[in-house]
Amino acid sequence: MTRKLLLFAAAGLLLLANSLWAQNGMEQAEEAYRQGKFSAALGLYEEELKNRPNDPFVYYNIGNCYFKMGSKGLAAANYYRAFKLAPRDSDIRHNLSFALSSGGERFVPAGMPVVLHQAFFALSYEELQGLFLLLFWISCTLGSVWLVKRKFGRVLATVVIVFMLCGGWLWWRHTLETEPLAVVAAPSAEIRSGPGTNFPASATAAQGHLLLVLDGKDSWYNVIVKSQGLKGWVEKSAVEKI
Amino acid sequence: MKKIFLFLSLLLSASVWAAAQVTLTASVDKNTLTLDDEITLSVRVTGASGNVIMPQLPSLPAFNVYSQEMEQSTINGNTTLEFRYVLLPRFAGQATIGAVTFKHNGKTYKTAPISIRIYRNAQILPAAQQRARVKTVEKADPSLPPLEASLANQAYARGDEKYFLISAVSNKTPYVNEPFMLAVRFYYTQQFYEAPYQKPSVTNLFMQSATTAQGSQVIGGILYRYQEQRYLLVAANAGTAEIGPASVQYQTGSSPLSAFDRLFGGAAISEVKTAESAPITIQVRALPAGGKPDSFYGAVGKDYTLSAHADPVNVEAGEAVNVTVTVKGPDNLKSTGDLNFPPMNGFKVYPAAPESGSLPSSNGSALGYKTFKTVIVPSASGVYMVPSVKWSYFNPQTKTYQTLHTNPIKLTVTPSTKTENGFNFASASNTSNGLQTLGSDVRYLKTAYAPESGILAKLPQYKQLNAFFLFLLAASALFAAIGKKSIAQKRAFSDAKRALKQANTEEAVADAVSAYLQKKLHISTGSLPLKSILAALKQHGVKPSTVEAFSLLWQRLDAARFAPGANDSATNLSTQALDVLKLLEEETR
Repeated sequence: MTRKLLLFAAAGLLLLANSLWAQNGMEQAEEAYRQGKFSAALGLYEEELKNRPNDPFVYYNIGNCYFKMGSKGLAAANYYRAFKLAPRDSDIRHNLSFALSSGGERFVPAGMPVVLHQAFFALSYEELQGLFLLLFWISCTLGSVWLVKRKFGRVLATVVIVFMLCGGWLWWRHTLETEPLAVVAAPSAEIRSGPGTNFPASATAAQGHLLLVLDGKDSWYNVIVKSQGLKGWVEKSAVEKI
Repeated sequence: MKKIFLFLSLLLSASVWAAAQVTLTASVDKNTLTLDDEITLSVRVTGASGNVIMPQLPSLPAFNVYSQEMEQSTINGNTTLEFRYVLLPRFAGQATIGAVTFKHNGKTYKTAPISIRIYRNAQILPAAQQRARVKTVEKADPSLPPLEASLANQAYARGDEKYFLISAVSNKTPYVNEPFMLAVRFYYTQQFYEAPYQKPSVTNLFMQSATTAQGSQVIGGILYRYQEQRYLLVAANAGTAEIGPASVQYQTGSSPLSAFDRLFGGAAISEVKTAESAPITIQVRALPAGGKPDSFYGAVGKDYTLSAHADPVNVEAGEAVNVTVTVKGPDNLKSTGDLNFPPMNGFKVYPAAPESGSLPSSNGSALGYKTFKTVIVPSASGVYMVPSVKWSYFNPQTKTYQTLHTNPIKLTVTPSTKTENGFNFASASNTSNGLQTLGSDVRYLKTAYAPESGILAKLPQYKQLNAFFLFLLAASALFAAIGKKSIAQKRAFSDAKRALKQANTEEAVADAVSAYLQKKLHISTGSLPLKSILAALKQHGVKPSTVEAFSLLWQRLDAARFAPGANDSATNLSTQALDVLKLLEEETR
């Protein structure tokens, strides 16, 4: 009995220490950030990310560090990662919008009401997948009841309609989720007509511009600048894939 | 010992005597000349110290002294003074330069007279004298800078001309926008009048005047003077660039007039001649495309410096701070691009037009500066850093791009005290509720981890449940298609039994029996007469005795329904119905 108690206490202490250490990392990073040591804060947050690879707030904080260091492209990339995980968070939406607008991009597409954009991203991709599954399961259950008992027919019809709408929403989000996006991380990226410096540059894209990656060859990406529709090749080192 | 002392005394006395010895010599660069020529008389005084009085020239009826100059040199403490006089002959014939006298420390020194033969024109000059004029061309000191050496060598090669114009460049293969120097020199050995100068034309080059100078050079023993004009050149594009000839139209008072005519009114009847420099072709090299930094604005050269300062560095929010970035270096900065000032969060930035100009030259190379002024206005209080500014140039010597950085500048901004009556930074952003927008920035950090995701986000982990629900649906569909009826049939008797137990009226008993027939045998009793019901029972294999018993039961139920309370009670009917249904159940199993 005593042995079991000791083991239980040791496990509890280990968990508590781990929790305190983790919190300490966040606090240290925040302290460095407050003192203007953005590079040091960035290093600490990246360490945190190893322990919590899907924490939107860590991505958000990394984005803040990059922004303060002047790398608005990398900031936008990390805000975007945070937004994918926590799309309802108003701070993440604000900072992503701010970082993109400083690079000449729009977060909410032109002509789309902000409310509609917020509604479309009211759920994260995982939450939307969960909702879709839940509706599927409910539909199956109600369908079974109706088949056996011929009861809840109207409820079943309503649920099936909602389920189908949710399927459409999920399909749309899936296409956006799997879109190979990248952002210009260098102060400016030259867009060339081919994968090499021997091809002439047709334009330069400033830091923070969103790119759609179509293909890759050696150290070059074939991209489309989303806001302009301009197609060309950029060096991989100049962009950050999201 | 005495002998040694005597020897040393004699040696010392000889040294002192030698040191005190003054020598005076006079020489000319030629002994024969023509009337349109000139002669240089050099008087050399060696060993004179203290206050030196200039030598006194003798009477020179055959010459006119055109110019004089003095040169002093000291070697091993021995000072030599050389006085040079340029003499112009006045008439042909035999002439003598008498003794030159020099007085020093109470002593008078004299030179020997020099005989000179003056001819009217060159044809009369003896052949030996003509041959003597064919001189070997001198070479410039190799330690001179390339431009100086090129000019000196060109001048040496043309030493047989009295007037000539030459030009040279400091670099014949410059890079685009690399500054280089063009020097044009007009050499002359004799006086000239009114010499309008035509500067060279250029193609694919920007040219601006730099410096002017005067000087002299001894070529073949003859003292030449020159006037020099320098230009700063910058090539606009890669390829070939041309510098056309420069020219000087000068008027001389010599040929074909005599020296006498020249001295007395020669200027009025002078001759106009033109001296022209040779054109120069420049090969301009393109700048390498690789490694060109973003902060490169076109400057090519070396020894650039970059500095930045802000004034004032302690301000109130809303007050202007002048940030000045200055580049100094070779004077080609005017054509370089404008500096991109880095963006500053929390500041309004107002860039001003850059200024450029020239600085005093150093070592013959033109220097310039370019100043980029930017006014920044902090929108809120705090301590800020004006970021480091980068500026790159191409160094043609190392053939690489090099980047200069300024140091960040600390600004301390205190809250504004002038918003009431003075400067109101964000007046355009005022709202009726008193909120004043000063600027925008990213929102602050998240100080904790994100909360655990909700149940919806966790549901995809249970995707395997899909199979269960699909199976449930499929089973239900199968059941609906196949098994639903048989189950109802199986349950028909138990349902009827339950209904009969609960039946307290004859009608309830009748309904229970009807429901049984409907569920078990699919016989609808409502629309069929008794005869048809009995026939249907027979078709399902019910024994005739049981059919008879059912017939009796049905008739009694009818009687009870149409005349309630007349014969049997509901309980009796229920018992009888249950017995009949038991028989039916057994026989139709």
